[in-house]
Amino acid sequence: MTKKTEVQQGTLALMVLRTLETDGALHGYGIARRIEQTARDLLAVNYGTLYPALLKLEQDGFIRGEWGTSENNRRAKYYSLTPAGKRQLAEERRQWEQTSRILGWFLDPEPA
Amino acid sequence: MSTLRRWFSRLLGTFVGARSDREFAEELETHVRFEIDELVGRGKSPAEARREALVRTGGIELAKEAYREQRGLPLIDHLRRDVSYATRALLRAPGFTAVAVATLALGIGANTALFSIFSSLILRPLPVRDPDSLALLAYGSWSYPIWEEIEARQELFDGAFAWSEERFDLSPSGQSDLVDGAFVSGGLFEVLGVTAARGRMITPADDAGAATDGPVVVISDRLWRQHFAGASDVVGRLLSVQSVPFTIVGVMPAGFFGPDVGRMKDVMLPLAAEPLILGAESRLASAGSSWLQFMVRLKPGQSIELTNAALRASQSQIVETATWDIREPLTLVPAATGRSELRGRFETPLFAMLVAVGLVLLVACANIASLLLARALARRPELSVRLVLGSSRWHIAQLLFIESLIVAAAGAALGLVFASWSSALLVRQLSTWDTNVSLDLALDWRVLGFTAALACLSAITAGVAPVFGLRTVTPGETLKDTGRGIAGDRRFAVRSTLVVAQIAVSLVLVVAAGLFLRTFASLNQLPLGFVSEPLLVAELNLQAGGGPPEERGARVERLRDAATAVPGVRSASVSAIRLLTGGGWSSGLMGVGDEPISRTGQDLWRDATTPGWFETMGIPLRSGRDFGAGDRAGSAPVAIVNEAFVRRFLPDEPPIGEHVRLGRDEVTRFAIVGVVGDAVYTTPRDGMLPTMYVPVAQQAPETFWPTVLLTINAASGQRVALERDVAAALTEADPTVVFTFGTFDQLVEDTVTQERLIAMLSAFFGGLALLLAAVGLYGVVAHAVRVRQTEIGLRMALGAAPSGIVRFVFNRVGVLLAIGLALGLVGSLWGARFVQALLFQVDARDAATFVGAAAVLVAVGVVAAWVPARRAARLDPSAVLREG
Repeated sequence: MTKKTEVQQGTLALMVLRTLETDGALHGYGIARRIEQTARDLLAVNYGTLYPALLKLEQDGFIRGEWGTSENNRRAKYYSLTPAGKRQLAEERRQWEQTSRILGWFLDPEPA
Repeated sequence: MSTLRRWFSRLLGTFVGARSDREFAEELETHVRFEIDELVGRGKSPAEARREALVRTGGIELAKEAYREQRGLPLIDHLRRDVSYATRALLRAPGFTAVAVATLALGIGANTALFSIFSSLILRPLPVRDPDSLALLAYGSWSYPIWEEIEARQELFDGAFAWSEERFDLSPSGQSDLVDGAFVSGGLFEVLGVTAARGRMITPADDAGAATDGPVVVISDRLWRQHFAGASDVVGRLLSVQSVPFTIVGVMPAGFFGPDVGRMKDVMLPLAAEPLILGAESRLASAGSSWLQFMVRLKPGQSIELTNAALRASQSQIVETATWDIREPLTLVPAATGRSELRGRFETPLFAMLVAVGLVLLVACANIASLLLARALARRPELSVRLVLGSSRWHIAQLLFIESLIVAAAGAALGLVFASWSSALLVRQLSTWDTNVSLDLALDWRVLGFTAALACLSAITAGVAPVFGLRTVTPGETLKDTGRGIAGDRRFAVRSTLVVAQIAVSLVLVVAAGLFLRTFASLNQLPLGFVSEPLLVAELNLQAGGGPPEERGARVERLRDAATAVPGVRSASVSAIRLLTGGGWSSGLMGVGDEPISRTGQDLWRDATTPGWFETMGIPLRSGRDFGAGDRAGSAPVAIVNEAFVRRFLPDEPPIGEHVRLGRDEVTRFAIVGVVGDAVYTTPRDGMLPTMYVPVAQQAPETFWPTVLLTINAASGQRVALERDVAAALTEADPTVVFTFGTFDQLVEDTVTQERLIAMLSAFFGGLALLLAAVGLYGVVAHAVRVRQTEIGLRMALGAAPSGIVRFVFNRVGVLLAIGLALGLVGSLWGARFVQALLFQVDARDAATFVGAAAVLVAVGVVAAWVPARRAARLDPSAVLREG
């Protein structure tokens, strides 16, 4: 089993936003599980980092939290993407793609 | 935008902590349960699942802490912690806290009190619509015919109105009930944009006599509450004004006092009502009576200069009716803050007192700084432990500063309470017999801002010293250096500087107090020329009872006889003018003998008296005779003059038999039949002025004043008791007469209201500063003695005599005092020129006052140093050295 790494600073917000975009409203636990699944269990989402990140996104108005009931009848806070969050996701996605492209050029320079 | 939102949300989060903590705990709980559910689903036992879930999710408390950090603003959280820490620290030292807060409350309160008076009298705009576009026709009063001309030119303005200043008697008979009021033109309320709190205000229709309500009056909110107990059916009731019934049609809004700042216009009547009260003596038709003020509202966008130019273009038509030349161009002046006669009188003294009270606050701050510094130094071990434990120096400074901020805030809050009480007290001191000063002292943003600024300034002034004193605290000193200091301690340099400053400022204040007290004393020692002790005065209002003016002479005679008949009355006589008001009846044009009538340069003051008045007043007859029964209407006009008159106009000839002519009247020649001693007419400050008396009996009825003064000379010790008996006798003789009692002592006192107030305040501030400086000096000396008691004990063990120890302490105090006094002296000499205008017969650099003030400070300093010095001299060397 490969060693799980902690989520890199700054990327968690992007992952949360993207997860909510594809899966719709989710509670905190669901988000954490979904991110770990998507990351093929290479990542561990510690909730000491997840919940402050969720709070920050909520304060920024990118996501909205509402109390609801889960399929197995548990009261949970469900987070969903706001329109501002959609825009923010697009923006962060663009930035991230650019960053990874640039990094790619450094790490794997194509012959000129 | 989102940053702003986050900050707002976090700010909110700082204060909703508890609720959101619970919510988050629930969210975490859910998270763990989901985890357990899943593990159970994979076949684990619930207990095992729970254990594993908790391990997997990590520390709950850690997560909560991280969550809290994100939720609130750490800075504010820390601040809140510091504030609660500082509050607890202050509460642990209740003595210190009480002294510091009380000192500041007194200082800030006194400042706020004076400032709220200053603000309300000078800074605050009228509480009306758009006060900035109001302008007053400067200066002086105008006649009704001139108002008609202005009113006919309304198109120059966005509205204009006229009003007069009146004293109205609301009592139908007997003891009078005087309030301030006004006759106003119908447009006043409309132009000012003031709407009724109840009923309606006066309208132009009322002024034109066209309204259906008949004679109407509007009353102030204060009168409504005090006279009518806030009755809801007040509109429609009758109010007797000068014994004439008027229908109340409205109550003015609370806070509105009229266009005159400092006077509460309790009763306002339309100008058209004036003849109802004054009858044949109405001033409406008179071009010679100046009794109205005019205010206009400038047209939007039109400057005051343009409006002035437009007004002056028709100046000749406007002033055509005037009985004297109005040569100066008509000038409108901005009147956003209204009109006020008090302003000119009190602006300089108020400002001087504000400076004085500011200095007191400075002394108080120095004291608190000194106390805080001592406290901070006493806490050196604690603070140094904090440094060792990793607290930053900046954070410790912040902690100390928060302490002074809390003290300042508490002082300011308490000071506001003190201020609202004392400013009302001060305003009451401004009122005299005939002027009832009323100022709106509500705490507005100006006053609150001023107080807040003072609190901040105090916190900074008092809080900086301890922070500086801490620069020497080092982490390592925790356990060494516990008060065994022998050599001089530089840490006291700051406190000594503060004490020197206190002494200097106190000297300035004591010098000022001395100068003002001497001014007040010299004003009180001025000769009056009459004997005031036995005199009781009743101001009789003959107009209020109605009746034709021709009968007034006979009524006065009847009333005088009634008063004379009361047992205990030595004599009673009548005169026309209330003396000692600063004004009166005067003439600027006169001729003596056959000389042509010319300007006298200095006004000739006049009064009309009945026979016996001089004797009643105790004014000696120097030569000739008093008026007699033979001086009546129709007989040759006679006059009595005073010695000042003789000195000025007839220095070389025998005055008896000379003739005087006055004003434009070339025909009437007053024959001088007597010369009397000088008596004060306007105010004692003005000295003895040339005065001419004429018999009341020779006055034409229409020039007979609506009020006359009945002066009663009471048998010794009976003055107070007589008031009731005389009142009864007067009412019996003439049931319609309205009167007010007073004494000449009161009138004399009223002439020095301003000086008395200044003397009182400056003495209070000087005393306060002295007290604070003494406490400051005592604190420093006591502390120095305590810290150096090892050294002192050592000296004594080595043979120093107790007297030597006292000398040792006093040397130190002497240096502080000498430097402080020298600085204070320089300050006083420099500041002296600013107070000269407020002094009377005292030089602002009066040597005796300066020396006296310095002596007072030295005495206070000696007393303040004596207590700790004696304690030092009584130290038991062996005990001190043992305890170390």
